[in-house]
Amino acid sequence: MNAANGQERNPAEEDLLLLAELDVLFDKVDPMPADLVDRVRFAIALEDLDVEVARWVHAEERVGVRGPSPNTVTFTVEDLTIMVSLTPAGASCRFDGWLVPGGPHTVEIRVSGHPSTITSADSDGRFAADEVPRGTTQLVVHIVDDRGERSRTVVTPTLVS
Amino acid sequence: MAVDTWEGLTGHDRHAACLVAAQAGNRRALDTLVVDLTPLVWHVARSQGLDRSSAEDVVQTVWLALLCKLGQVEHPKALAGWLITTTRREARRTKAAGYDRVAPVPTETLEDFPTPPAQTTPDTPEQVVLRDDRDRRLWGAFSRLSDRCQELLKLTVLAGRAQYEAVADALNMPRGSIGPTRGRCLDRLRELVGQEGGHRERRQRPGA
Repeated sequence: MNAANGQERNPAEEDLLLLAELDVLFDKVDPMPADLVDRVRFAIALEDLDVEVARWVHAEERVGVRGPSPNTVTFTVEDLTIMVSLTPAGASCRFDGWLVPGGPHTVEIRVSGHPSTITSADSDGRFAADEVPRGTTQLVVHIVDDRGERSRTVVTPTLVS
Repeated sequence: MAVDTWEGLTGHDRHAACLVAAQAGNRRALDTLVVDLTPLVWHVARSQGLDRSSAEDVVQTVWLALLCKLGQVEHPKALAGWLITTTRREARRTKAAGYDRVAPVPTETLEDFPTPPAQTTPDTPEQVVLRDDRDRRLWGAFSRLSDRCQELLKLTVLAGRAQYEAVADALNMPRGSIGPTRGRCLDRLRELVGQEGGHRERRQRPGA
């Protein structure tokens, strides 16, 4: 491993050993979820790097999404709320969503290992998609402005449907 | 194919090289950063008392935030420090919003091994019980260090040992004092490991 930089004395070897022991210990005590790195890599593998990140509104929803039953989840970022209801059907999932404020924005449903499902919201902000493959999923909302041009992109953290 | 510019580098030199390459659009460089530094982000998020699900989301949010700010990171060598600061801010924001409904797992609650963690931490089924005696003693001793020492040692280990600057900035400590303070924390840890051996006397946790 690296030596300390010029400002510091070199740590004694026994210190380095103890630190190395702690390094291993931290991962034993509180291991990262095995798929976390892959989920992060999937979440940031976006074409557009200029994105805004929406966050979960209710933690308890998250638990449900990871379970088997239909669920509604809500994400929010400054002036946009994304509500989406997921209905599992076999190997796929139906998405019914609502963007507030509404507008004919493009909604991309990214699922790891599958092509994206792309749908448009109507002027009220409602959108739906059938037969979305289940798996690690991320919503990407391409907001269009008054002139109908794409202006911003909002992404969510991944959820597992 | 050209050799990656970060190949063979370690610590903040490696991260800086990756960041510069990522800024130029190299996706593999970004991937390398994610693989190298996600453990740091994860443990910092957990150190803020988030449950595992919330910590997972914070980890993703932090990396997405980096993606948005990729062109604006002016000092690539400060990346680890930026990640630490951003993770803490995001974790505090998550907690302040009341998102964190499941009981958090402060490291102190894991003190009394070999109590199965599942008993106090229902959200961590995969969490291993430390069976090895040395591990148990070391963890017991670590948990009895001051919060400041715990944080300093954790960040030192996770951010890479060369990253005094990142750790110093994250802890608001003068850079020159990181080494000596860390030395004292490690000395204290050794002392506590010794005590963990036979008797488990309880002593007041020293102030941070």
